[in-house]
Amino acid sequence: MRRVGEKLIPVLLSTPVAVLILCLLWIVVSIGGEGIQALNWSLLTSSVLEGGIFESIVGTLYMLGGAVALATPLGVATAVYLVEYAAESRLNHLIIQAVNNLAGVPSIIFGLFGYAFFCRFLGLGVSLLSGWLTLVCMILPIIVSGSVEAISMVPTSFREAALALGAPKWRVVKDVVLPAAAPGLATSVILGVGRVAGETAAILFTSSVYLMRGLPSTVLEPVMTLTYHLFVLLVATPGGMTGKPFAMALLLLGLVVSLNVLAYIIRVYYRRRW
Amino acid sequence: MEETLKSFDFLKSLRRMDWVKLILMTIASLSIVIVLLISLFTISESIPAFSSLGLDLLLGDRWAPYYGRYGATPLVYGSLIVVFGAVLIAVPLGVLSAISLAEYMPRKLGEVVKLMIELLAAIPSIIYGFLGMVFIAPAITKLFGISLGRTALTGSIVLSMMITPTIVSISSEVISSVPREYRMAAIALGATKWQVIRGVVIPTALPGIAASILLAFGRAVGETVAVLMSCGCVAKIPSPPWNLLDPVHTLTAAIALDMGEVAMGSMHYHVLFGLGVILFVITFSVNTAAWLLMRRAPRRLIKV
Amino acid sequence: MDPKIEVRELNVWYGNHHVLKDLSIKIPERRVLAIIGPSGCGKSTLLMTLNRMIELIEGARVEGRCLLDGVDIYNPGIPLTELRRRVGMVFQKPNPLPKSIYENVAYGPKVHGVKDRRKLDEIVENCLKVVGLWDEVKDRLNKSAFELSVGQQQRLCIARALAVKPEVLLMDEPCSALDPMNTRIIEKLICSLGRELTVVVVTHNIQQAARVSDFTAFIYLGRLVEYGPTDRLFESPVNRLTRDYISGEFG
Repeated sequence: MRRVGEKLIPVLLSTPVAVLILCLLWIVVSIGGEGIQALNWSLLTSSVLEGGIFESIVGTLYMLGGAVALATPLGVATAVYLVEYAAESRLNHLIIQAVNNLAGVPSIIFGLFGYAFFCRFLGLGVSLLSGWLTLVCMILPIIVSGSVEAISMVPTSFREAALALGAPKWRVVKDVVLPAAAPGLATSVILGVGRVAGETAAILFTSSVYLMRGLPSTVLEPVMTLTYHLFVLLVATPGGMTGKPFAMALLLLGLVVSLNVLAYIIRVYYRRRW
Repeated sequence: MEETLKSFDFLKSLRRMDWVKLILMTIASLSIVIVLLISLFTISESIPAFSSLGLDLLLGDRWAPYYGRYGATPLVYGSLIVVFGAVLIAVPLGVLSAISLAEYMPRKLGEVVKLMIELLAAIPSIIYGFLGMVFIAPAITKLFGISLGRTALTGSIVLSMMITPTIVSISSEVISSVPREYRMAAIALGATKWQVIRGVVIPTALPGIAASILLAFGRAVGETVAVLMSCGCVAKIPSPPWNLLDPVHTLTAAIALDMGEVAMGSMHYHVLFGLGVILFVITFSVNTAAWLLMRRAPRRLIKV
Repeated sequence: MDPKIEVRELNVWYGNHHVLKDLSIKIPERRVLAIIGPSGCGKSTLLMTLNRMIELIEGARVEGRCLLDGVDIYNPGIPLTELRRRVGMVFQKPNPLPKSIYENVAYGPKVHGVKDRRKLDEIVENCLKVVGLWDEVKDRLNKSAFELSVGQQQRLCIARALAVKPEVLLMDEPCSALDPMNTRIIEKLICSLGRELTVVVVTHNIQQAARVSDFTAFIYLGRLVEYGPTDRLFESPVNRLTRDYISGEFG
């Protein structure tokens, strides 16, 4: 009897796992099913004022591009400092605390802060720049913790070898440590982007508008994004459900899933080449 | 001659100073600055609300900002009940999945499953909100014969899908990190695999599992868009209070909905920041509790 | 003749652990010095003091003087990078950089300012020839250094150290991870290098010390017990401890 029970357990335990996998599949199918039908070239390339989503797509790319371009050097530099220059110091502990706290802040609070600080206090208004700065605050902890892990895993023997040749510390970091940690750094950046690619709450009132023709010409102008556009379509516009929201949701889903899969592939493919 | 030598020394010491370290230190300290700024601004913008409303903001039971009533209790209640519902679904689902992943699944299959569960976590909240609004709400109306599908239950279901991956990934990591010696001791006594899990592994891993549940709770409380779209945005405590089929409104949704439309500097504006502070306090306490628990949990890698 | 390196009253602590005690030694130029002694007695520590790599160890404290050509290397006025160019190091476990074979050898010169591609090619070829690797790797210079065998990797590390034209080469048990054949190759290399550079080799293999060195220093429990020409030290050691160690009584 005990043996029968034992054999049954793995089967029973796989039920919740199956439930989760089914949820994922259901999500993909529900969105993808109708989304694929609604997705076509004219939707992607025509302006929002003509029923397309061109500005939203490009606006999203602008938003993500700028945020990651700003956050990556800051995050990697922080990680380099933590691992290479200040291990075990008090400042180190404070910074790590700060990074962990930052990671736990709800996104709407970033939105509030972004609005109060970037838009109003610094006078940047509802703009692409405000959005960038707000998103940087959100991406930073992800890049820092991923990079710290990647850099810590570089073997000490590499550093010793380079130092013994008379290389100054910054060159050791630049020529030996960072290249060796590169896959891990890349993974953390990609995951950071994935985190904010679908972000709505933080940019709700810091950078996005519902309708505008054309793209912002300076960073001080607001921008359209897929997420906010979708949000307004679903929440603020009454009436029947057309295919357009599904297509937009599908695009978002595709973007986020590809980013995560890419990070996974890099992690697995570049596992320990030494 | 003395003077020239002294200035040479100064220049030499300038060059000797590790500029790289200084620059990196400044950049690294940015994280601390950001955290302080966020706390500072959120709190300072909320002070007018707290100073004029005082505890009424917290304890008042009517949320009707356009009539000047700023009681946050229905919102706090809404947040909590939706999250509790989500946790109720997520815990058994998540912990059992974690056990299955960590103890029973073959490695290759486990890797694939882990990836899929990671993907569940990565899906943007707006898509979950979309699903809640467009698929789950109508299903609920049909299932329970009610008129409005956007309810606390809808929100709980949606949230549970979002937070279960957190429980699964952390718990499975913690379970895998339970030292082999503990298991070997039990096996050597003749225990079956399940008995080892039940009697040794789970109790040892419990602080970590509890931490993961707390983290999931924290994440759920902070969720904005998904609950906004699924819960109905009605700021009333349901009657009876445990009725999950009534619509509710959460702290996060209230902030998100109203923020775009408030007048700068109005009481409503400051009250929204006050809600932010309440939210911040809840998530911060929950995350800190989780962090404390995590330190007592078995871990393989010492994460920073 | 003035010694290349002179150590005076050197004391080193790791935290509270007093590792090297009042150590004084004069290391002659262009000779091979072997440092022998049981494990854990401070031999590697002495090496690391000579190129200031000891400063990488947390809690390490150095007192005393180490003079290179008469100049105190712990004087803050001497740039660390230049010291380590003049005093090279080969580690116990081969540690190639995660780069190609070519880049491993070229890295040192590049760091010290050599930019001309042809000059770098020349340096790489010469150094690989000196360690006897050139014929083995000349067709795969841009393959990863990790594709080499352990013995080849160690020779690569020696070539890499030689590429910056050091005056002193510190070798910390360079053969302990290698098989007998590679050990022989490297021992021959040490002998020939010892005619142009000052070589200091730490070894726990007494026969190896006898084979390769001109001078031998015996360190026991952090103190220099005996020091002299290798032949004399092995044939007629003055100190009883030395005699016991050499005859294999302990260690």
